[in-house]
Amino acid sequence: MQSESARMSSAAEARYRIDAPNSRPRSVKVIALDTPSERVVKELSQRQWNRATFFTASAFGGTPKQGESFSGWLSDLAGRTKNLIEEVNSADLVVMVAAAGESAQAASIIGEACSVKRVMTTALVLGGPAISDEALSKTLSHLRPWALMLVIASAEDYIADMLTALRA
Amino acid sequence: MLRKEQNDLLCQTGPGTPMGQMFRLSWQPALLAEELPENECPPVRLKLLGERLLAWRDTQGNYALTDEFCAHRGVSLWFGRNEHNGLRCPYHGWKYDHTGQCIEVPSEPSESGFCSKIKLKSYPLVERGGVLWTYMGPPEKQPPLPEWEFAMVPASHSFMSKRFQECNWLQAMEGGIDSSHVSFLHSGELNSDPLFKGSKGNAYNMGDMKPVFEVVESPGGLYIGARRNAENGNYYWRVTQWVMPAFTMIPPRADHPVHGHFWVPIDDENCWAWSFDYKVTRPLSDKERKAMEAGQGIHVSYVPGTYVPAANKTNDYLVDRKAQKEGRTYSGVFGIAMQDASLQESMGPIVDRTKENLVSTDNGIIMARHRLLRALKTMEKGDTPPGIVAEHQHVRSAAVVLPPDKHFKDAAKEALVVQTGKEHVTV
Repeated sequence: MQSESARMSSAAEARYRIDAPNSRPRSVKVIALDTPSERVVKELSQRQWNRATFFTASAFGGTPKQGESFSGWLSDLAGRTKNLIEEVNSADLVVMVAAAGESAQAASIIGEACSVKRVMTTALVLGGPAISDEALSKTLSHLRPWALMLVIASAEDYIADMLTALRA
Repeated sequence: MLRKEQNDLLCQTGPGTPMGQMFRLSWQPALLAEELPENECPPVRLKLLGERLLAWRDTQGNYALTDEFCAHRGVSLWFGRNEHNGLRCPYHGWKYDHTGQCIEVPSEPSESGFCSKIKLKSYPLVERGGVLWTYMGPPEKQPPLPEWEFAMVPASHSFMSKRFQECNWLQAMEGGIDSSHVSFLHSGELNSDPLFKGSKGNAYNMGDMKPVFEVVESPGGLYIGARRNAENGNYYWRVTQWVMPAFTMIPPRADHPVHGHFWVPIDDENCWAWSFDYKVTRPLSDKERKAMEAGQGIHVSYVPGTYVPAANKTNDYLVDRKAQKEGRTYSGVFGIAMQDASLQESMGPIVDRTKENLVSTDNGIIMARHRLLRALKTMEKGDTPPGIVAEHQHVRSAAVVLPPDKHFKDAAKEALVVQTGKEHVTV
């Protein structure tokens, strides 16, 4: 007689796997950190997603001083100002997109908000082989402290593949 | 998740399939050299990439990898007589040389030249590093022999094993680049396995159960960096190498031999998990070699006379619930290799990736799939996929402690490629 493991891992048994949804859509907030990545994020936003929403922080001009509001620098792609804390509050995952060589300074504010709210962060750096190590390092140094997962991708279409893989 | 058609594309490797074509464009490990130990030894049946083959070694020592079946009536040539520079079918005496060329059809007048019209499909079979490698692609695209470092060091410096794994190659390979499972599934072995224990890196592993990952494209595939906290604000990095389509190298631990794998499709529901260990500047010690032969580290012990692991699905992997409860093993299965294989086989022969829920720490897996799919697209245009040229094979994994502002790809640049005469960079 076959062991239970042998029987249960057969192709025939796969037919009896429960065919019901095993997850609810995750809320994924995708934020462009600079002008070049804003173009990529805008293109992404044209596709159909479950619960992914798209923003830009390309207007970020530096860390707000004490007493200054966080608002104003984060907007949706139509240019409407958004409140970072509210967006993070409703997120399961925040994806920051940066172009290699850009400063990615907004990552610290976004990352800190995610850290306080215990929201997972992923940073994607877009850069082809033409980007120098120095330029890449500069961008990474701003992202690394705030990204729990960091990906350096040479192809822009990786973001779409990643979001699809994550059921965004 | 992957769409069904994407999953099919990556999992199917038989003749005529795009993924099968990618495998066929590079040298694949086919057998251990020990399987054909001498001239005129018994032939070995094997299936690779969905093709039934027969490996044998003729009177002169030429290795042969040919169609398993006689061109006459379809008899398996495994029953053949390996004699006088050829393999003779025992049914009617048709005889083939090591290239698959029929050289004798006893029922036909030799003057008729009939036998010259019969030739079995055959592939080159070449020994390097204790492995018999084959190339199953178009002859005009045959690359130079593989130059993986473990296969280039003296025989005394390396150890190679293989085991039968009952699932599709991709789910086995994805285990090889899934660094986040080590602190859980293999936690018991980090402290007990003679080929793992005693490394300072293990303390970092166990001291920080939430590693942060960085995935970076490399010329041949990916660097997958797992970052954990070390002393003085520094980071302990473990950098795994993946070279397309199916080579993975695990980061080293202390002075232990460095190990890695090939995941080679047998058919769409089974694969060979090849496991190597090596040192660059010294022979493996007797103790290390004995541990490997006993199935420790990433190797396994076998059902006698086979390459089937002794702990396998037919005996529920000898799962020990008491050991699991006592924390001696995390899953109840002993041994790193079978801890992985038991779970990967439990997913079924080909896992349905439309049902999975990946998280962002799975980006190594997501990126590997992305790169494979991208390479398949460029192959349609005639491009050569990554992983074939020697430069892509001259890679190393590494374990390093770096300041927080250093990118491992730059700061450990030399550590990630072969440095002749130098050991791996390790902690």
